[in-house]
Amino acid sequence: MRVSDRLTVWCRRIAVMTRKELLQLFRDIPLMAFLIYSFTLSVYVTGNGIQTQLKNAGLLVSDADRSVSSRELISRFHSPYFRFDGELTHPNEGFVRLDRGGSMMVLDIPTRFHEALVSGESTAVQLFVDTTNSPQGLSAAGYAARIVGQFSQELIMTRNGQTGSSSTTVPMILSDHRVWFNQDQNETWFESISHLLRMITIFAVLLPAAALVREKERGTVEQLLVSPLTPAQIMLPKVVAMTLVILGATAVALFGVMLPVFSVPIRGSVALLFLLTALFIVATAGIGVFASTVTKNQAQVGMMTLLVVAPMLLLSGIFTPLETMPVWVRYLMALSPLRYFIEIATGILLKGIGLEMLWSQALSMLALGVSLFGFGMWRFRRQFQ
Amino acid sequence: MRTGASSQYSALNSQHFDTVVSVSGFVKRYKKHVAVQGVDMEILKGEIYGLIGPDGAGKSSLMKAIAGVLTYDEGTVEVFGTLVDSERAAERVKQRIGFLPQGLGLNLYPDLSVEENIDFFARLRLVPERDLIERKTRLLAMTRLDKFRDRAMKNLSGGMKQKLGLICTLIHEPELAILDEPTTGVDPVSRRDFWSILAELLQEKGMTALVSTAYMDEASRFHRLSFLSSGKVVASGSPTEVQALVPGSMVTFEATPQLDAIARVKTGSRQVEALGPLLRVFREETVPAAAAQAITLSLGDITPLHLRVDEPELEDVFVALLLRQAGQLLSTEWPPVTVLPANHGLAIEAKGLVRDFGTFRAVDRVSFQVKPGEIFGLLGANGAGKTTVIKMLTGITPPTGGEGWVAGAEMKTAGGAIKERIGYMSQAFSLYLDLTVVENIRLFAGIYGLDANATDQRLKWIVSMAGLKGYESSLTSRLPMGVRQRLALGCALVHQPRVLFLDEPTSGVDPIGRRHFWDILSRLAREEGVGILITTHYMSEAEHCDHLALMYAGRIVAEGSPGDMKRQVEKEAGQLLEVATDQPGQALRRATQAGFSGAALFGTKIHLLSLDPPQDEARLRTVLSSDGVHVQDVLIRPLSLEDVFVYRVMLVERQEQATVKGAAA
Repeated sequence: MRVSDRLTVWCRRIAVMTRKELLQLFRDIPLMAFLIYSFTLSVYVTGNGIQTQLKNAGLLVSDADRSVSSRELISRFHSPYFRFDGELTHPNEGFVRLDRGGSMMVLDIPTRFHEALVSGESTAVQLFVDTTNSPQGLSAAGYAARIVGQFSQELIMTRNGQTGSSSTTVPMILSDHRVWFNQDQNETWFESISHLLRMITIFAVLLPAAALVREKERGTVEQLLVSPLTPAQIMLPKVVAMTLVILGATAVALFGVMLPVFSVPIRGSVALLFLLTALFIVATAGIGVFASTVTKNQAQVGMMTLLVVAPMLLLSGIFTPLETMPVWVRYLMALSPLRYFIEIATGILLKGIGLEMLWSQALSMLALGVSLFGFGMWRFRRQFQ
Repeated sequence: MRTGASSQYSALNSQHFDTVVSVSGFVKRYKKHVAVQGVDMEILKGEIYGLIGPDGAGKSSLMKAIAGVLTYDEGTVEVFGTLVDSERAAERVKQRIGFLPQGLGLNLYPDLSVEENIDFFARLRLVPERDLIERKTRLLAMTRLDKFRDRAMKNLSGGMKQKLGLICTLIHEPELAILDEPTTGVDPVSRRDFWSILAELLQEKGMTALVSTAYMDEASRFHRLSFLSSGKVVASGSPTEVQALVPGSMVTFEATPQLDAIARVKTGSRQVEALGPLLRVFREETVPAAAAQAITLSLGDITPLHLRVDEPELEDVFVALLLRQAGQLLSTEWPPVTVLPANHGLAIEAKGLVRDFGTFRAVDRVSFQVKPGEIFGLLGANGAGKTTVIKMLTGITPPTGGEGWVAGAEMKTAGGAIKERIGYMSQAFSLYLDLTVVENIRLFAGIYGLDANATDQRLKWIVSMAGLKGYESSLTSRLPMGVRQRLALGCALVHQPRVLFLDEPTSGVDPIGRRHFWDILSRLAREEGVGILITTHYMSEAEHCDHLALMYAGRIVAEGSPGDMKRQVEKEAGQLLEVATDQPGQALRRATQAGFSGAALFGTKIHLLSLDPPQDEARLRTVLSSDGVHVQDVLIRPLSLEDVFVYRVMLVERQEQATVKGAAA
């Protein structure tokens, strides 16, 4: 056979096998439903749902003073951080309402609050916070402390003859935060991006592993092995097909949910993002191929995937920054393609940087991908001998 | 050689006619699919009642409902006079039932030892400890499992697992044993063991058994039976009664050219089978001479050789009944033969093939040759090494030693070339069930590198050859087993291979589908000169092969054409005598005591081998009548390949034991 003929046959084989994988995947209704859910609704829910910033904390007020000052203080607990849930006639009622869980905090203002302030005495207000939802509760307490602090600072300045908030004449150090890349501290951006990365990782391991183990389970792999296909020709189409599907799903998540709903910015090159995503999927698929060689059926491969993917997701820096982890975990995670891909994805989307800054991550991922995939391939060949 | 009209059923007449199970108007649906539609059946105390039919005929649904583990939609099921219509009703009869579900050892615990499994089932059924010890000892001895008491169940062979399954089902001595396909996938020797254990226990304990099977040749082992097809009873009664439903004769002869002969006899009969060089034709004439004459007439100027007329086997009867029901045999056109370059030399040659797995020698110096246009059958039990031989020749497994050539290419150096020249079809049919018929064919066309033009041509050829018209865009999972099987064959033939490997390709297919499949195979061999290597554990199918090799423990222990192999056994051990008596159990005991070796119970009759039939018959009659057993009939039956297989394997086993003893001494 001439070289060009061989090439034609090679391409034909890869093409029919890839087509077969896609057909099989599209006909697997439960898996498709899970895939679509994971890249649409679940991205939306996660982006919207996980909140560490204070939002809509229900506030009950027991105002025994009913004065200008008390009203002024209460008005400073405003939306979007707080939600005014009404006044209480008796402070004890507050505990009942907190126990019921409808509201989060009770602000108790004593009698003579205004009088004390005007006459220059110190006074105190009381705040009960239900911190069952601890991040929200702790933030609420912190916000409340800052609001009261600000309020009293302004009172002092008014008393000293200054007007309003112009603090120019008073010696004071201001602490002001500037956030880079995500100035509004829009959490939906980071949460939806990390969720997308999680889903890509899970499917990049699961899909090729499931497809390979299914052939083993049904005995069709035997038929492929006696055909002139080489192990590479059996495995490659699966990875190609699954990569295409995951890239498609990523595009849907990005352009169908994150961009229109959360206005996630795409500051860098979309082409580069998808190119490196493809590289990431292929690298991660190597783990899936390996998983398929040590398992016998789909249930086992599902559990194996969980076992491999869970630490990868937890430790690669999505949930907590890599910098906060023990040194040995950091070294271990050098073996996780996700560790590099997080930097690449957030870098391209939020920072707008390109290969000039990300080359080391891209190269690491490439090297890792070649070795993981090569290892998976070696195991795949070996299991049939 | 035909049986007299004597009633074989008289053996049961002497016993009580208690009804154990009574089923009427039974209907079971799975969503829209009707699995069983209107079955009536009555099982009497002390009989082995058979349910026969292919996969999906509704056997398992019926058996599960009788065992009280499956609800049903219409009709009534009464067991021991109790109407089983609710879980509470089922609980009342469960203690008196033993149920062995389908699948080798599926009811057993793989990690428990043989003894632990038995103990578990006995304690589950609250068998008193003393009874347990006594029964266990006896059953283990009967099944020859006593040497393996401490072996984990997962390390037993298929036949041993099934025998253990039987022990666990019978340890509480149920009055009714329900056994779902207990012999499927079990080698013929273990299968015979299984039947004789069952017969003995039934006799002794007055047990009743309901047994299903997909092997048509086991039908004659039942006292009475129902033949199921697509959820309906096609025929029922005793084997003799069923046989009487389709009066006729089977004419067997050799004729060349075979294909012309087939075409000519087909005008007078719809049931024509090619068994190697032989043709087997069903004729409606009951008088042997008339049937023979009809064949000679229809053949015209072709002269039949070795012509012989027998009564139809039960399988022939079933096929005839199915054909009556279906109207006619699904016809497929044989598309024009594509002329390929002539193939010189052998299709397959194996020389001293050896394969070791660790210290275990799976294949031991296996040599054979397959010529182009020949159907070569490799027979053997599970684990005999058949599949490993195929795996070596197809290049999946490298051999430890020996040489092999396939389609002119050397096995070790030209594995790639071999793969391009062979077709392969495995037990599981290896199709993608979630792809349609056409998608499957196109996939394999692409894998073998066919271009668009060639693909379209072959697609048409396969569709008409395999009779797939109308199924083109159906998902493979929705196809009946027979169609699925022919599609798998089509996919294996997509690239016009010169050599075809078939690894147990006919499991679970109904008899008509199986015959159709064999039709295609013999045309492939005869017309296109394809060399075919096939493995099977259906002994009746082995008759279709031109040449057989019998494997045992990794070695080929016998080789030859089916006819040669039978003649050889007849020469060494004698002819098969079938003895009908009024007390089969008693007769068997007496015959064994009197030194008739190899005597076994076969339904209500006794089978034994005899080198001198007239003298042995006389001796047997004297022995039995002195014991008050009335001998109704003694007939010489043709040997089946199963008889050959069992004889050969037992012989090898005995020789091995002798050498072991010799070495020890």
